[in-house]
Amino acid sequence: MKLKRRERPAPQETIVSLIDVVFFLLVFFMMVGRMDATSPFEVSPPVSSAGEDMPAGGSTVSVGLDGQLALDGFEMDTEALVDRLAAQVAQNPDLFLRINAHGQARLQKLLPLVTRLEGLGIKDVVLVVTPNPS
Amino acid sequence: MKLKRRKRNGTLITMTPLVDVMLILLVFFMVTSSYLDLNMIPMVDRGEDVQNPTQSQGNVGATLLIRIGSDGQARFRGQPLGVAALAAAMQETPDARVLILPSGFADVQALVGVIELATAAGVTNLRVVRLEGAGG
Repeated sequence: MKLKRRERPAPQETIVSLIDVVFFLLVFFMMVGRMDATSPFEVSPPVSSAGEDMPAGGSTVSVGLDGQLALDGFEMDTEALVDRLAAQVAQNPDLFLRINAHGQARLQKLLPLVTRLEGLGIKDVVLVVTPNPS
Repeated sequence: MKLKRRKRNGTLITMTPLVDVMLILLVFFMVTSSYLDLNMIPMVDRGEDVQNPTQSQGNVGATLLIRIGSDGQARFRGQPLGVAALAAAMQETPDARVLILPSGFADVQALVGVIELATAAGVTNLRVVRLEGAGG
């Protein structure tokens, strides 16, 4: 006698819970993440507990260990950087500028640059620091 | 004659494209965002007249000078810088302006360390100066 195997109904997989989880993760990463242009070279900001919370927006000048410069993720020399920032200041006099300098970079690379940026009339210049964990 | 209305099939909304788009967005935000906790130290204040800083600060009292050597060591009045010494000097002259004169060969971390120390000592009027043409 031939027994006929009864066909089991396929279990219904609801994807609603998957959507919930993915949506939750999406909102989480959108809230906690920060979308900044990354610098083309390695920059480890100095550590300090005297820092304040940094607002978003503005432009970022990166200063590498050997004095390399980058503006908003694009590496360039000092003159090109100053020219671009001068153009930005002409469009937006209240430009907020972050300087993301490597903690071990020499001040002879940083301070003359800050003086030139002040000369452009940029009134809101901050130095990026990493909060001290202790 | 009674007409029987034909039952319409409910519109089927497929969720697959929605899930696809959300997954793509999720991966995009996970990869492109940075999750470093960063703070800032003001280098130039909004209200400060960058062309004539001394004029905009009004009548300031004494000026205290902190030097940072090329080895990153900070000195105040000939002694290694300490919070207690600076805080005592600030108590003597509360309106004092503190100038930091770093060597060009000192690193950014040394300068930030001195700013941190000065903040801890209660300094509010702080400015970093450099010698023109002295490599920083």
